[in-house]
Amino acid sequence: MTITPEMIAAYADGELQGAERDRVEQALARDPALARQVEAHRALKARLSAHFAPILDAPLPEALTRAVRARPEAEVLSLDAARKARAASASSGTRSRWAWGAGAALAASLALAVVVNRPAPSGGPGYADGQLAAALDTQLSGTPAAGAPVRVMLSFANAKGDFCRGYSGQAGAGIACRDARGWRLEKAFGGSAGEEGVYRQAGSADPRLMAAVQDMASGSALDADAEKAAIARHWKR
Amino acid sequence: MKRLASSVLSIGKAKTLSDRFESEMLALLPRLRRFAAGLARDPARADDLCQMTVERALRSRDQWQAGTRMDSWMYRIMRNLWIDETRAASRRGQTFVDEEAGAAVGADGGQEARAMLTDVDRAMARLPDDQREAVLLVMVEGWSYKEAADIVGCPVGTLNSRLVRGRDALLALLGEAA
Repeated sequence: MTITPEMIAAYADGELQGAERDRVEQALARDPALARQVEAHRALKARLSAHFAPILDAPLPEALTRAVRARPEAEVLSLDAARKARAASASSGTRSRWAWGAGAALAASLALAVVVNRPAPSGGPGYADGQLAAALDTQLSGTPAAGAPVRVMLSFANAKGDFCRGYSGQAGAGIACRDARGWRLEKAFGGSAGEEGVYRQAGSADPRLMAAVQDMASGSALDADAEKAAIARHWKR
Repeated sequence: MKRLASSVLSIGKAKTLSDRFESEMLALLPRLRRFAAGLARDPARADDLCQMTVERALRSRDQWQAGTRMDSWMYRIMRNLWIDETRAASRRGQTFVDEEAGAAVGADGGQEARAMLTDVDRAMARLPDDQREAVLLVMVEGWSYKEAADIVGCPVGTLNSRLVRGRDALLALLGEAA
């Protein structure tokens, strides 16, 4: 049984198993030239890996991370989906709309109960209090109960490593960062305080808010699991 | 009011899914850049390729199923985009990168390292495309033969023999000591 170059390479890559591997190992023990080939393959692999490894640690070009985060297509997609869902529920008759409405009303009353039962302490002037502080403490991004007074849009860490959250509410959008005293209000963008419900209709974040987040964030936005963990730790870093 | 509430719910749901998709993609970017650098052999073109890959993946996100591997999916997208690019270029009768220009792709470690790395870049540049991608997927990106064959869309045996020819050529170019 001859040992092919393919088998030698596959052996060096750890791709051989069982009888095939045994056969190559026996051949290697008999033939130092084959053993040297395996060594050469491994050395080549190490050299190639080392050659390309620095790219893994290099800072990512901003244009690239922005393409993922700013996600114009993604935003359109989810808005499209939302519009379709809305059209579907509007055309499917009163009953289903009432079902949605009932669920939303129930969720809203639950949210109110949470707010009332958990009055959040404020850190003082310049810090969030009341419903805003409670939402920042406990709400998962993008999943507010309908009718909730504040929607938390996303969470991220700033350059100091503090957790920050972007939110949108009746009084406008803003960013608050958690420090020892509470949720420090970092940015505020005046909002659509007028017509009730307008801010809730906006599925996409205020572009000014997203721009400010881009400037402040030191990494990517927290995913749902990371948010749950942060909530459990009361947003201490 | 009720109509608004229902739209908010579906937007909220879509947004959570979309956030997960994007954070997973962000985590993949360094590896995708490395693969792009190996394929394109020119830092600027590599980043263009990355950008195209991300944009294509965002547009095709419906084809990716949550719970399946995003990394192999995006490698496949990148690989196919690169093949399209090189085919279009050869139709135009152009080459993107001349062999000498492929240097310093992974260089971040000063002059000495750069001079050393140049040998690898030059050797890689001389491989035929199919051998180069096989070498990159297995020896740099660490995919198994089967996974690499899936990304390329060829039988495992074909991948294996391209790999052997590619690495024999590299060993000859770089010297026995590799």
